[in-house]
Amino acid sequence: MIEQPIDSLVAKAHRDGEYQPLIDLIPYARIIGVECQRYGEEMIFRLPRNPDNIGNPTLPALHGGVIASFMELTAVFQLMLQQHTPTPPKIIDFSVDYMRAGLDKDTFAICEIARQGRRVSNCSVIAWQDKKRQPIASARAHFLIDQR
Amino acid sequence: MNLTDMELQGRCQRFLDAQPHMRKLGLNVVGACPYQVTIELPVQETLFSGQANTYMHGGVLTTMVDHASSAATLCALEDYELCPTLDLRIDHMSRPAQDMPLYVEAECYRVTRKVLFTRATVYQLTTEQPIAYAISTFMRPDPGTTDPAFKAMIEGRSQTNHGAQHD
Repeated sequence: MIEQPIDSLVAKAHRDGEYQPLIDLIPYARIIGVECQRYGEEMIFRLPRNPDNIGNPTLPALHGGVIASFMELTAVFQLMLQQHTPTPPKIIDFSVDYMRAGLDKDTFAICEIARQGRRVSNCSVIAWQDKKRQPIASARAHFLIDQR
Repeated sequence: MNLTDMELQGRCQRFLDAQPHMRKLGLNVVGACPYQVTIELPVQETLFSGQANTYMHGGVLTTMVDHASSAATLCALEDYELCPTLDLRIDHMSRPAQDMPLYVEAECYRVTRKVLFTRATVYQLTTEQPIAYAISTFMRPDPGTTDPAFKAMIEGRSQTNHGAQHD
């Protein structure tokens, strides 16, 4: 198992503006198809429409677990990209409120680091489809940060 | 609850088989009884990370727990109702080993007229050594609003019966 320090991969991603290699480090992110775009200071994560991500075939709607995982991964990547730590952040807890059905279309998410302590980060994430002001879900999470 | 464990397991299996994402992940229903279900995520190379061993289950565990909690609601209701998730909270106790299957044991411990409450334990060896705990709530739909064909399929009453043999 080759473990390349995450901070060097993050530095390369920022330099090249190419975030996919970093996202692909987490196999499940690749399976559901997470993508990331940087707009100045802001990172917006995208989960493109994918028939494999359907949970409710009658609507059809995205699997609730996929939405939650996408939001959790959004927080993980946001922390990795913002913090320059040598290892990925370690999740402590995660809590999601579902507000609307996630339909079979592109989903977006943004993560705000509400508080960055010395050892713990508190993040909040919202996910939306058509309008950011009408989120399909909101989540919060704590992560342990490995500071050097 | 008038359904046998086998009938409940059949329902949970058909519920799982009806969801493209669950088929993609290769989850299995390994046991069911009234109010309770156990789901397995077998060891899969596609989920291994050669780079960051530390986070291979990132996200997968959340999807599994969400699904198992939802399946537990099937074991608590006589007739199938499509119950949307209101919220889900997961506490991560320890990191799973990537070369062992993961299990989620989920229980729907309280049924009210409008809301269902579930709890779940994620483990690899025994539930005494948990990887994670989760609690979740589900909203019961208004009577008659669950798609009748989907309901019949989950209950194992239709021609397009996927998987487990009952009736």
